[in-house]
Amino acid sequence: MTSTLVLGMGNPILSDDGVGLLVAEKLRGTSLPNDVEVLQSEVAGLRLLELVRGFTRVIIIDALKSPADSAREPGEIVRYEASDFKGGQRYGSAHSIGLGTVLELGDRLGYEMPRDVVVYAIEAVDVETFGEQLSAPVAAAAERVIALIRADLEADAA
Amino acid sequence: MKKVSIDPITRLEGHGKIEIFVNDAGEVANVYFQVPELRGFERFCVGRPVEELARITPRICGVCPEAHHMAATKAIDAVFGVEVAPAGRLLRELLYNAFYVTDHTTHFYILAGPDFIMGPQSDPAARNILGVVGKVGLETAGAMINLRAEAAELISMIGGKQIHPVCGLPGGVSQAITAEQRDRAVEITTGMVEFAKFTLQLFDDVVLKNNDYVDLIKSDAFNHATYNMGMVDADNKVNFYDGQIRITGQDGSELEKFDGKDYLDHIAEHVEPYSYLVYPYLKSVGWKGFVDGKDSGVYRASPLSRLNAADGMATPLAQQEYERYFSTLGGRPVNATLATHWARLVELLYAAERAHELATDPEIINPDVRNIPTGIVGEGVGVVEAPRGTLYHHYKTDDKGMVTNVNLIVGTTNNNAAISMSLKKAAEGLIKGGTEIGEGTLNMIEMAFRAYDPCFGCATHTLPGDMPLEVTVKSESTREIVTSVKRNM
Repeated sequence: MTSTLVLGMGNPILSDDGVGLLVAEKLRGTSLPNDVEVLQSEVAGLRLLELVRGFTRVIIIDALKSPADSAREPGEIVRYEASDFKGGQRYGSAHSIGLGTVLELGDRLGYEMPRDVVVYAIEAVDVETFGEQLSAPVAAAAERVIALIRADLEADAA
Repeated sequence: MKKVSIDPITRLEGHGKIEIFVNDAGEVANVYFQVPELRGFERFCVGRPVEELARITPRICGVCPEAHHMAATKAIDAVFGVEVAPAGRLLRELLYNAFYVTDHTTHFYILAGPDFIMGPQSDPAARNILGVVGKVGLETAGAMINLRAEAAELISMIGGKQIHPVCGLPGGVSQAITAEQRDRAVEITTGMVEFAKFTLQLFDDVVLKNNDYVDLIKSDAFNHATYNMGMVDADNKVNFYDGQIRITGQDGSELEKFDGKDYLDHIAEHVEPYSYLVYPYLKSVGWKGFVDGKDSGVYRASPLSRLNAADGMATPLAQQEYERYFSTLGGRPVNATLATHWARLVELLYAAERAHELATDPEIINPDVRNIPTGIVGEGVGVVEAPRGTLYHHYKTDDKGMVTNVNLIVGTTNNNAAISMSLKKAAEGLIKGGTEIGEGTLNMIEMAFRAYDPCFGCATHTLPGDMPLEVTVKSESTREIVTSVKRNM
């Protein structure tokens, strides 16, 4: 028995940071396979463990802000897999434990943790100004991510 | 002059930054602590119905949304000039203490635990929650996860939603709880008290029975004689939800005590050109720079200061721990920054006991949970003790209740000057001319920072993965990187 969680993450009042939440909301309004659940979360850390446990597959959508010297364009979509998050285990600062740590912690505690984790990260223009609007490149990217996720889910169902 | 940066990057950009400048002799010249700026909050709020601020302000930050919801709700009570229905007040305080239990627990096991349970100089690859789990055992880790889940259940039972409660309305809360729900709340809070006792025992075994740690806690590098701020009830006991703000001095005596609404008469803000974040200080004492002592208006607002500013805890087990804490550490006030971790666990026990008291109060299931406002005052201040310090929300509205002005002082901001001082003092104590600046040293400087549990307000989540950390040593004259250490990058 497989089950998929589509998890939109972000902050709805920090401009482009709301993109993950918007993608989840739009996907929720469409017809999806029965074994797919769509959720939104505005926090990460240990909360992620509580959200993803029990699912076999998780697709996360979030905003990304790369360093200014990176070659990434606003609206660019970067696809990460669980293996990209391995290795980093330092908690570093307040309340942040990352996805890799969450998956490993869940494993050690004997929870059913997803084996298949994909993150669609969308390069943002602005995640530091309060606002409820997405920038044009990020809004356009949201539509492309929705198509990518639908394709993932349909390939799965076929 | 060389520059050492401790650069924790949460989302690759928009991160907090610690910069240590080292002179040619290799000694610490200065330390700067900077946080990223979030823009346009006031503009975002102005023109909206004031009731919306109880749902907007929790979204500033994913770390303590419940604290913002509660401060906002209290400010909105004041804007409408409405008395809170007694059962509504009990439910708010129950929710709030359940939140404290989960927040303080998370801090201890995830953030502070690795330094103490694994050791401050241990291999960074093992100095994390996974290392902690390896050491304390799966049973404890499972109990911690379970406690969080049960606290979340209780918070959503009252709050309507997990994470971002929506229950707070002017005059009370949106819904009552049933007798069955109350029974579950009693069950959950009973477990909270047991877990808090267990956690204090763990702290005792791991930290207090280790003389090296006790020496580290008491060492001068981690000490500051600042003023202390904390909310107290009518008996001068710690309270997180309501009371007066009490300031105590270096000898433990009361300097002043005031109602939250008068905060502007007591707190002023100092500005530095290199940081957008202001440095609040006590108006009656004045700003004398980044120094401690009775002539400097620098204060702390944290678990450490709350215990210092109060005459005791209002619940029996927490009171015992309060007494043991001060007798072990040499009486009130305790100025050791790292003792904040112990103070936090004393508060954890209080929060659990208080939640249990509230859950067993017969009035908690009274269906009259709200008084409907009939007028409008147009201005209000709401204050609570957030886990990271006293949280002030101040709103002004027009006669229709539309927001015209918003001012917040958040927990971490209160401690801005003290955090900078603590970092500098720790750096001075640990970095000496000619010594190698290793990861362990920088981690111990960061410990001075982590004790405050600082919150950058934007750290709602982290991508990709764990927080990368970059440490660079730069020559001031050439700006070239002399050496650098990178983790998780």
